[in-house]
Amino acid sequence: MNKKAQLRFSILRGCLAILISLLIATLLIFISAKGNNVGEKLGSTMDALTNLIIRPIISGRGAFATKSFTDILAGMIPTIFTGLATCVMFSANQFNLGAEGGIMLGAFVSSLVAIYVPMGAGIHMIIAILASAVTVGAMMLIPGVLKAKLGVSEMVCSLMLNYVIMYMVKFLMNTKFADKSKGQVQSLPFLASAKVPELISNGSKLTWGFIVALLFVVVTALFMYRTRWGYAIRMIGINQDFAKYSGMKVAAIIVAAQVIGGILTGLGGGIEMLGRETTFNWTALPGYGWTGITIACISGNNPILVPFAAFFMSYLDKGCSLMSTYCGVPAQLIDIIQGVIFVFFAAEQFLSGYRQKLVVRSAQQELKEKEAKEGKKDE
Amino acid sequence: MSNLLSSMMTPAFFFSIIRITSPILFATLGAVIVEKAGISNIGLEGIMMISALFGSLGAYYTSSWIVGLLVALAVGVLVAVIMSLFAFQLKTDIILVGIAINMIGSGGTLFLVKVITNLTEGKPLSSTTSLITKTLQIPTVNIPIIRSIPVLGKIISGHSLLTYVAFLMVFVVWVILYKTSLGLNLRSVGENPNAASSVGVSVTKVRYIAMGLSGLMAGFGGAFMSMSYAMGWSQDMVAGRGFIALAAQAMSAEPLGSMFATILFGFAQAFGIKLSSIGFDSNLASPIPYIITIVGLVIFAITKRSKEAKRLAAVGAAAEKEKEA
Repeated sequence: MNKKAQLRFSILRGCLAILISLLIATLLIFISAKGNNVGEKLGSTMDALTNLIIRPIISGRGAFATKSFTDILAGMIPTIFTGLATCVMFSANQFNLGAEGGIMLGAFVSSLVAIYVPMGAGIHMIIAILASAVTVGAMMLIPGVLKAKLGVSEMVCSLMLNYVIMYMVKFLMNTKFADKSKGQVQSLPFLASAKVPELISNGSKLTWGFIVALLFVVVTALFMYRTRWGYAIRMIGINQDFAKYSGMKVAAIIVAAQVIGGILTGLGGGIEMLGRETTFNWTALPGYGWTGITIACISGNNPILVPFAAFFMSYLDKGCSLMSTYCGVPAQLIDIIQGVIFVFFAAEQFLSGYRQKLVVRSAQQELKEKEAKEGKKDE
Repeated sequence: MSNLLSSMMTPAFFFSIIRITSPILFATLGAVIVEKAGISNIGLEGIMMISALFGSLGAYYTSSWIVGLLVALAVGVLVAVIMSLFAFQLKTDIILVGIAINMIGSGGTLFLVKVITNLTEGKPLSSTTSLITKTLQIPTVNIPIIRSIPVLGKIISGHSLLTYVAFLMVFVVWVILYKTSLGLNLRSVGENPNAASSVGVSVTKVRYIAMGLSGLMAGFGGAFMSMSYAMGWSQDMVAGRGFIALAAQAMSAEPLGSMFATILFGFAQAFGIKLSSIGFDSNLASPIPYIITIVGLVIFAITKRSKEAKRLAAVGAAAEKEKEA
């Protein structure tokens, strides 16, 4: 099968996966829809679906919904980073699920720098974000080194770390860093010099972080496909034994993949916190890590596709929250949609029969063309 | 410190260790079974969440804890079979399927509870805690003679029915794995699927059964969580127990050994609860079981490695001797 046919197949397959998950979503919406009979229920289902699929970009009056659209773009910022991080780690077959805790740790560290270490404008923000990146990179040394040196499952280890980080951050917030004058648990306000500046000031919190995120998409893609380390990471993921016997330092690369994942996660945590919030006020894990895993899965661990997958997830997220506001369908529907899309994208054999047919057909066509060419030669 | 020690040396503390261990033990046994068949089921956490929800709903709507328990078990098996469909038929990486089930178990259950009960609309944290009453809980059992033994009676007797089932299951799982033909097939599939299939074992079928059994165990664990450990289901109530079970499995891989690993985590958690009860910050006490898990995994890996090194050295020495002779 040539490249074009391959692409066409991938797109078809992706669309079908999304369609199936939306069908399941429709079914669930229908069950939960308000109404006394089937007709009324259908009506409110349609209403909910409109909110889910169309309203995020087209407002009720049929105009382009600018604010909602910038909300979607702003929502992509943290998940692009966690998506990229997961791409790198999963490419090396390291099922590190620590992006969830990592982004909370990063956000917390950058907040502390933003509050307690005064510096000049501009440089302050950069230092705060870098501090976050370094901390989370160092944190990922734990699952990375334990896996490389001792064979401890990086998955279990990183999952446990998520809980440890969540409780530690809560502990530090409650005891040391909380602003006691406020009713809820939140830190003192960030210094103005540490704020990530806004790109468009319409309340969407679409900051320059978005541009930085896109920049890192390119950087990560170049790293993965144009450098020796990126090649080594991918090679370990494909065949670790081959990588080992061809002389790669497998242990070092396993650690490196996870530390790079940590650095990307940390950047995301810092940028999100200093861009969106004015004080540190997270009291639970934010969920960006899990969304990042879905994004990496949809994009097939290819960094270039991450922003598209992140846009899609952010779009769905916006749709779900509109649906819950206006139609009373609980916003957690997104977790079910996300789970269903996730498994269908990951399913290697999904539509494999059709793929087989395509391969056979294109091979036959090639043969025919070849025969025709040779026939011409004979004449 | 002496205050802490004296409050730990009570029957009540040991009782709480057993109680806390039970749900994790179910999940651990589920992990042991599938790992023997060569599969990593990291979806145990999500299955427990889903089973816990449907178990409590089943008990509420039928006013019977037995039906609730059966619903929880059936849902556990059903989810595991759906996971197997994706993993074995559609060739999805089983780890990714597990992640998806955990996503649905975490947020999707909250969606379902809002939709099904309709009671909790508008509240940020929904739960079924108002639905499960004392009579709908899984009953506790006072063991006739043992209950009157001074200290031991207070520790061992008076637990939930499922606690006894959990510890009994350690034996049952061992019997299944080592004394039945199913267990033999299961282990052979895990050791070498090609060899197993060459002697006529249906690899896929055995894997389905293994996943089904692990779903059953997670179903027990979920039912315990919502119908005995707590009164009803609440969001993220399983709180990583499914993951801790994976760690316990990684430490031993055998039913009995992993039971002891699970008791260690039960102890860590009971210790954390004790600490916070004497005024220790609960946010500082809560991560203790998770930290113990990581430390435990590391110690286990180191001992395994040194054993391996010793074995290799012994093999080398034996070869050396042979040469000399």
